Amino acid sequence: MNVGGIELIKVRENLWEIPAIGQMRVPGRIYISQDMIEKGMKDDEALKQVVNVAHLPGIEKYSLAMPDIHWGYGFPIGGVAATNLDDGVISPGGVGYDINCGVRLATTNIEYEHIKNRIDDLVSKLFQAVPTGVGASGAIKKLSTNDLKKVLTKGSVWALENDLGTPSDIEFTEESGTLKNADTEVVSKRAFERGADQVGTLGSGNHFLEIDVVEEIFDAKVAEVFGLFHGQIVIQIHTGSRGLGYQVCDDYLKVLLQASNKYGFKLPDKQLACAPIKSQEGQDYLAAMQAAANFAWNNRQVIMHLAKKVFQDTFAMTESELGFKLLYDVCHNIAKIEKHKIGKEEKEVCVHRKGATRAFPPGSKMIPAKYQGVGQPVLIPGDMGRYSYILVGTEKAMEETFGSSCHGAGRNLSRTKALKSAKGRDLVGELKKKGIVIQAKGYKTIAEEMSDAYKDVSEVVDVMHKEGITRKVAKIRPVGVIKG
Amino acid sequence: MSRTYEFVDHTADIAVELSGSSLNELFAAGAEAWLVSIAGEIKIEDDDLLELELSASSKEELLVTFLNELNYLLITKKWLCSSIQSIKIFDDADGCELSAELKGIKLKDNLQLKQEIKSVTYHQLEIIEKDSNYSTLVVFDI
Repeated sequence: MNVGGIELIKVRENLWEIPAIGQMRVPGRIYISQDMIEKGMKDDEALKQVVNVAHLPGIEKYSLAMPDIHWGYGFPIGGVAATNLDDGVISPGGVGYDINCGVRLATTNIEYEHIKNRIDDLVSKLFQAVPTGVGASGAIKKLSTNDLKKVLTKGSVWALENDLGTPSDIEFTEESGTLKNADTEVVSKRAFERGADQVGTLGSGNHFLEIDVVEEIFDAKVAEVFGLFHGQIVIQIHTGSRGLGYQVCDDYLKVLLQASNKYGFKLPDKQLACAPIKSQEGQDYLAAMQAAANFAWNNRQVIMHLAKKVFQDTFAMTESELGFKLLYDVCHNIAKIEKHKIGKEEKEVCVHRKGATRAFPPGSKMIPAKYQGVGQPVLIPGDMGRYSYILVGTEKAMEETFGSSCHGAGRNLSRTKALKSAKGRDLVGELKKKGIVIQAKGYKTIAEEMSDAYKDVSEVVDVMHKEGITRKVAKIRPVGVIKG
Repeated sequence: MSRTYEFVDHTADIAVELSGSSLNELFAAGAEAWLVSIAGEIKIEDDDLLELELSASSKEELLVTFLNELNYLLITKKWLCSSIQSIKIFDDADGCELSAELKGIKLKDNLQLKQEIKSVTYHQLEIIEKDSNYSTLVVFDI
């Protein structure tokens, strides 16, 4: 099949390869159905971006893309690439501006049937407690530079030390909420300024806090290990490192643009600016990116803590009665040094996941002991009007995708088209009829983020399920939504 | 002297075609597109003046630096640039420099902005000079 001048060769039912031509160092591989290609890829720049990523020095095996692939900058959204540590590069274009944008999901003992008349009240209180919208700030007191340095070094352990979390919250966060090589000395003053009053804030755009109900269980055994049951209320939080992360990305794009010239890299897109991982520039970016990732984990931790308090107050329940437990926290915009099998040997590589989620299998030493028997939870938010999924990682993900899966639905309509389509409609009323209560800073966000603007996430997770990269565990549907 | 900006459809973010009869005009068009993106078509009684000096190694990098500076002023200093009083771009073999006087206002808490721009990106950014006109596409990550 030829899509926009790019040759796609079918490898399996839902796996397509772009042969390595010209200066491409490896082939491209995209996990997607033929139907999704025909519906959504024809006018998109994303396939070209898969080709561009294949030009990165030191890239191993394939330039990969998950089924939620769409047009990004540098990497496509849904892009995964591993580069070797000897002569490979690290690129902010493979991480994105919102460093460690991610999702966490907490379970409760509460059944939807018992609280369905209280959702309005709950959503209002959550909306009060968690600042949302453009430049949102002030969830907790503005942090001093010293405190912010501790956040950047310790990640969500900072929240634990400040009575904003529990040891269990840390255990069930990817990397235990802290990347150890973060260095605040390589984070700019501007990044500190942008982050000082944004701890515990959702921000705007597609970030959200949702109250969901478990609607369908696909794998009873794994669901039991994850503590999920039909009709259960769970909470999803989607946000990242806010202004601090954006600034780190800005700062290092400049540095790495210079470095790309210095090291003589010829790249097809400036947004793929990069430096050898071993170089000073590469190491500085890695350390600053890790600091921003730590900020993000702490941010989601603080938001979850604020939400937990709202639940306790609203239902007058103790912590144990409420049974509020973090299932897992995953990041989907990050570059990490991980061990993977390349050919016959296991090597350390830098895995860039730009809109892709880590999906480690049973037995992985990188996941909590509780999940060792089944694999890590992989959290895939859909859109605010339909559903989201909880998946589980597999060994096949380790073999084929550097332990990675999809991250969400992916947009179907531009924001402009979404706004046009929303004209004359009562979107809040439409959601209400579906049993979903929403509060947002403005109607514009609700219009831009409406269901019709997104692809059906079930098509995305089905591709990953059929290919055996991740398996479906449960489907959840929203009943209360807070947006920026 | 003339300048224009035109938004083009982008699935996830904001893409805008900038055009100007000089580099100065092109950069001013970028500032106008930035303002419309975050605040809409609003009329602002601006009473503050702020001088700005920036440098970069290329004119593309300077454009990104300039627009990100407006973003930085907005988010951290709560200062919204509403118009360009004057702007001069110097472009030679040693690099590029910008000298500008910005008009704007200190934001009050109740002014509701419509859009957060995470950053101005380098994606597909290439300033092309043709028939005494400068143009480029610029993408805002939102």
